Amino acid sequence: MRSDAVEKDRGGLPALSPRVKRMLVSIVLAALCAIWVYPLIWMLFASLRPNAMIFADEGLIPSQPTLENYARAWTEANMGSYFFNTLFVTVGSVILVTIATAMMGYVLGRSSFPGRAALFGLLVFTLFVPQGYTIIPIFELLSSLGLGQSLLGVMLATTAGSFVIFVLLFAGYFSQMPDELEEAARMDGVGFVKTFWFVMLPLSKPIIVTVIVMQTLYAWNDFLLPLVITLANPSIRTLSVGVYAFKGENFIDWGGMMAASAITIIPVVILFLLLQRYFIDGLAGAVKG
Amino acid sequence: MSGISLRGVSKRYGSVDVVHGVDIEIDKGEFCVFVGPSGCGKTTLLRMIAGLEEISGGDIFIDGRRVNGIDPARRGAAMVFQNYALYPHMTVEQNMGFGLRMNGHPRAEVATRVKDAARLLQIQDLLTRKPRQLSGGQRQRVAIGRAIVRNPQVFLFDEPLSNLDAELRAQTRVELAKLHHQLAGSTMVYVTHDQVEAMTLADKIVVLRAGVVEQIGAPMELYESPANIFVAGFIGSPKMNFVNVSAERDALRLDDGSQLARPQTKTAPQRLGVRADQLTIIDPEKGAIRGEVSVVERLGDSELVHVRTAWEQEIVVRVPGGTNSRVGSTVGLALAGRVHFFDAEGQAITVTSQARTND
Repeated sequence: MRSDAVEKDRGGLPALSPRVKRMLVSIVLAALCAIWVYPLIWMLFASLRPNAMIFADEGLIPSQPTLENYARAWTEANMGSYFFNTLFVTVGSVILVTIATAMMGYVLGRSSFPGRAALFGLLVFTLFVPQGYTIIPIFELLSSLGLGQSLLGVMLATTAGSFVIFVLLFAGYFSQMPDELEEAARMDGVGFVKTFWFVMLPLSKPIIVTVIVMQTLYAWNDFLLPLVITLANPSIRTLSVGVYAFKGENFIDWGGMMAASAITIIPVVILFLLLQRYFIDGLAGAVKG
Repeated sequence: MSGISLRGVSKRYGSVDVVHGVDIEIDKGEFCVFVGPSGCGKTTLLRMIAGLEEISGGDIFIDGRRVNGIDPARRGAAMVFQNYALYPHMTVEQNMGFGLRMNGHPRAEVATRVKDAARLLQIQDLLTRKPRQLSGGQRQRVAIGRAIVRNPQVFLFDEPLSNLDAELRAQTRVELAKLHHQLAGSTMVYVTHDQVEAMTLADKIVVLRAGVVEQIGAPMELYESPANIFVAGFIGSPKMNFVNVSAERDALRLDDGSQLARPQTKTAPQRLGVRADQLTIIDPEKGAIRGEVSVVERLGDSELVHVRTAWEQEIVVRVPGGTNSRVGSTVGLALAGRVHFFDAEGQAITVTSQARTND
């Protein structure tokens, strides 16, 4: 949240000193923040309550905290193995997506070839196709490749999520690079592939960071696609699908679901705390790129 | 053997002709400068020699070998770009050795060649720095160093000094001249729009305008006998003064009616050209041209006096420093030295016997 932008909107109140203005803005933002964060806090505390006490009116802090929800979720509900499934899907798709979109973006951004404009148009068009429409074709495609029931299939399908946006990001960034860099490499006798790998790719670090961050979040949190692909094979579920499975026909295991949700969210939160700077740079890079 | 030879070289972008059938011979070891105003095709010509730009017509030979269609890296030429084009993420050492390393030269050899080039350019202390930690002049040296390590037969410079400030430019100019001496035997082609760089560095100057060679020659040759009014005006600072004249039977009449003796020429002169230092300020009654001092530029060792003539033209005269010419005073100008004559097309007219210019 950008406080200076909010301040500008309030420029019509000349009577307030900048200090007072900043305090007012901070209070408003803090209130918004609390509303935003409260459900997450509630989830964390609820995950520490026994199931019988979930909706007991005892305040936010549980009177008899327990970790049994976590134990149940991790072992009985297989969240442990789902965790590693998700890790595989995320890491694998991030690696594939980063390399593939960078290569595609480089060619689209820097070379002119017949049909380039048409290809661009086609890519942009796919952005307007809702994900729901693509699920059946993707599932068909995976099945015909023999990957319909495998974790590798989930991973490959996940790479497609924001692929086009990343290609366009890379293409835009590469197209702004000075021609002289490539020409210098040409004079040096460095070929197309080596120029890409040793000169252009290292220079596109801001976009690489953006792509890694955005793809990580997407792959970790994606729900609909893994839900469909893993319907028939629960052992390859990802975390987000696993959480949904707590909702049974007649009974919802709220405690287990809260614990599973916490297991799902905590790695992303830790990742964010460690790589905060890169996350913000990365998302800002996406806007600028 | 010829270093570089351009025969009928032309360049078209779509239907636009940028370079029209240019013929240039550059000897081995020569320092050749392409000079001309922007858009004259000089950079395009250089890029065609480098191989970065396709040749639309004609042939280019380097060391006797036709290089049309040959890969830039195989032409034996190295290029220094205007904005240096250093790889921002590599250190100076990596920048200089990049081409060699990528082409499979052994690590030890690359290191030696980079060290040698760095010593020559006095940048040994900068080898571990990144380009952004360097000043403009240092980046310039690294860019030259990257060319040197490849040990090319031909160096191509594309306006290498235009991003430097005036002082550094003068200094680097001298260093380039020294470098050419140290790298004896390597041919250098240098593109600039600055005639001072051309005059000070070149063995041979090629003056280009609108994709056509106007004149080729040694610096003083161009200065003393320009082939046409464009070269006359382009080479030399301050710019040569041109005065319209109308030729009569044995006199040249100026726009204010005063007369000069007519030199013996084949065709009738239409324009008279005289450099600022070939004019002297004398008594208003005696001068061939009369005018009023409008501006005085004091350069220290000399003064440039701008004289406004009766027909509202500014003529620049160089006088010794400390003359203290007064703005607003009326002065006469005498043609004291070499005078150039041009015909209606702007071509220089050879004078069979130099006129005595004072009536």
